[in-house]
Amino acid sequence: MSGERVGVVGGGFMGGTHAAAWAALGVPVTIFAEDAADAAGVAARTGAATAGSLEALIAGATIVDICTPTDTHAPIALAAAAARRHVICEKPLALSAADGEAIVAACAAAGVRLFVAHVLRYFPEVAEAKRIVDEGAIGDPAVIRLKRAAFRPRKPAGHWLFDPARSGGMVLDLMIHDLDFARWIAGDVVSVQCRSAANERPELGVEHALAILRHASGAISHVTGSWAYAEPAFRTSIEIAGSRGIVAYDSEEARPISSWLHAAPASGQGAVGIQKSLTREDPFRDELADFLGAIREGREARVSAADGLAALRIGLAAVEAARTGRVVDPAEVA
Amino acid sequence: MARLRIGILSAAHVHAPAYLALLARMEDVALAGVWDEDPVLARERAHAVGTVAAATPAGLLAESDAIVIAGVNRDHRALAEQAAAAGVHVLCEKPLATSAADARAIIDACRRAGVLLMTAFPSPWNSVVEALISAVREGQVGEVVSLEGVNTGEMPDVHGAWFVDPALAGGGAVTDHVVHLADLYRRIVRSEVVEVYAVANRILQEGFDRVETGGLVALRFRNGVFATIDCSWSKPRSWPTWGGLSIEVLGTGGAIAADAFRQRLDLWGRREDGASWRSFGSDANAAMLRAFVDAVRTGGEPPVTGEDGLRAVEIVEAAYRSIATGAPVRLDPPG
Repeated sequence: MSGERVGVVGGGFMGGTHAAAWAALGVPVTIFAEDAADAAGVAARTGAATAGSLEALIAGATIVDICTPTDTHAPIALAAAAARRHVICEKPLALSAADGEAIVAACAAAGVRLFVAHVLRYFPEVAEAKRIVDEGAIGDPAVIRLKRAAFRPRKPAGHWLFDPARSGGMVLDLMIHDLDFARWIAGDVVSVQCRSAANERPELGVEHALAILRHASGAISHVTGSWAYAEPAFRTSIEIAGSRGIVAYDSEEARPISSWLHAAPASGQGAVGIQKSLTREDPFRDELADFLGAIREGREARVSAADGLAALRIGLAAVEAARTGRVVDPAEVA
Repeated sequence: MARLRIGILSAAHVHAPAYLALLARMEDVALAGVWDEDPVLARERAHAVGTVAAATPAGLLAESDAIVIAGVNRDHRALAEQAAAAGVHVLCEKPLATSAADARAIIDACRRAGVLLMTAFPSPWNSVVEALISAVREGQVGEVVSLEGVNTGEMPDVHGAWFVDPALAGGGAVTDHVVHLADLYRRIVRSEVVEVYAVANRILQEGFDRVETGGLVALRFRNGVFATIDCSWSKPRSWPTWGGLSIEVLGTGGAIAADAFRQRLDLWGRREDGASWRSFGSDANAAMLRAFVDAVRTGGEPPVTGEDGLRAVEIVEAAYRSIATGAPVRLDPPG
């Protein structure tokens, strides 16, 4: 065992999830959050230590795991890189391509590793779909459909998630999972078209978007992202049609347990809907274990810094396309 | 009441045998016969339902009050113009034509002749689709914001080589599948499409590249609703049925998803046959033919007009322009 020590920044849902996963992996973990009560709550649940300041957290860690609102990713990541700490950053990497590139460059210059936590790649149905494609079972990917339909996060008005200047909006926060997944399956994206309810009908307060991607390979992808479904929906679907076959998954069809109970338990969804699998493996723990292994063994992880930056560019292209009605090349976003 | 005499003018389309069988069962309809440029096919189709094969289109038209055009897409215009000139009412297989100009010519010819023209879109009579449209009309999803539709299937060369011949069909998957959902969307949204964006490729169905096999189309309606259509021939030969059609409507009140062909039994037989799906849904073609016959009898406006067919063809034409340029294409239909 090398002596990695993780400092988790952020005491929200993701900070708590990561702290618990690190604890499960047996890695010493310290947490810092702007709101000390949040940090104390996570510490009480996970056994994490707490730090009194971001500086103290960074000083005491070998890996800084950033689980804060998106607009704070860049300054925290740059501070961690400056202190020569490895960086794990929640998706999206940043709010602009310039910030994303600055983070990548700073980590490279400091000689530290950077991982972007596109956890979707560690969900079992997603990983299996990728394996099926890699086996050649469906031939060359041609038409890909990915859907992520959730309810509006049960957060108060004014929460950072609802402020596009802080989160990038639903497209950059939620849809980016599948934008990364599409690129994982079919390679680099050369153009993005997108329509979103937030742009077309802002007065309705509905967050829902449909995007069409063209890949350099010639494949085309359709991606749905939504916060407009009724609670407790967290519906995901995957369809990858290729030259020789098709692979498909729909969370509505793939329910291993159904129940009709007179006293129904709560849905199990928290304030922010998440994808759930009835597997012993925990995608968040597997993700962090992969990042840790990549640091310890000097190997690549399933998601690279370049992947995180590419996903950010596709997401920014979708936001720009939805805003302007143009078809946007991810290479041209700022 | 005299029986309405209905002929089938060209039987190249996969739907021709079903139309014939359904018309033969209608008590107020008498089959007038079948004409096809392939006389063997005409005889085969005619004899299967106990009617006659006509030697010429003119011969069939002389014996018909109305005809169903089920020929290759390219021939719709010429056949419809012939029928209109003979004063015979027309139910024309979809797409109405392979170009908007041809579709307009068909509409004009029928209007000048004073004959009824209906486009053969059966999906409005699919009972699942009807339920979806009712739910939306009742306001179950609140104000409609967005539609997402999938009308994908096997490569239709199994139903006739002409389906994948661009000269006869007018194109590939975009021509074959976009019109159904485009028409249904117009019925759900009650607004017209003012912008079309589309992408396509020829990767699906390995070894075949004469026309596009994969396609995604994005539409924007005048009232602000946005929508997409997946029209790909993405189902491999091993798929349990020909394909399907589904629509998800998203509004301020939530979402409703409808799978038009989910009313099915799953069938497993011999191992080598794999699984197949057998539908028990109501026959939309039967209801569509009934509506055509009723419209001819009453002289009323058919529930799917020639203009409906034209609007769908305009959307297909715009999709091909968008595929060629990589940019959205604007439309400005009346209404």
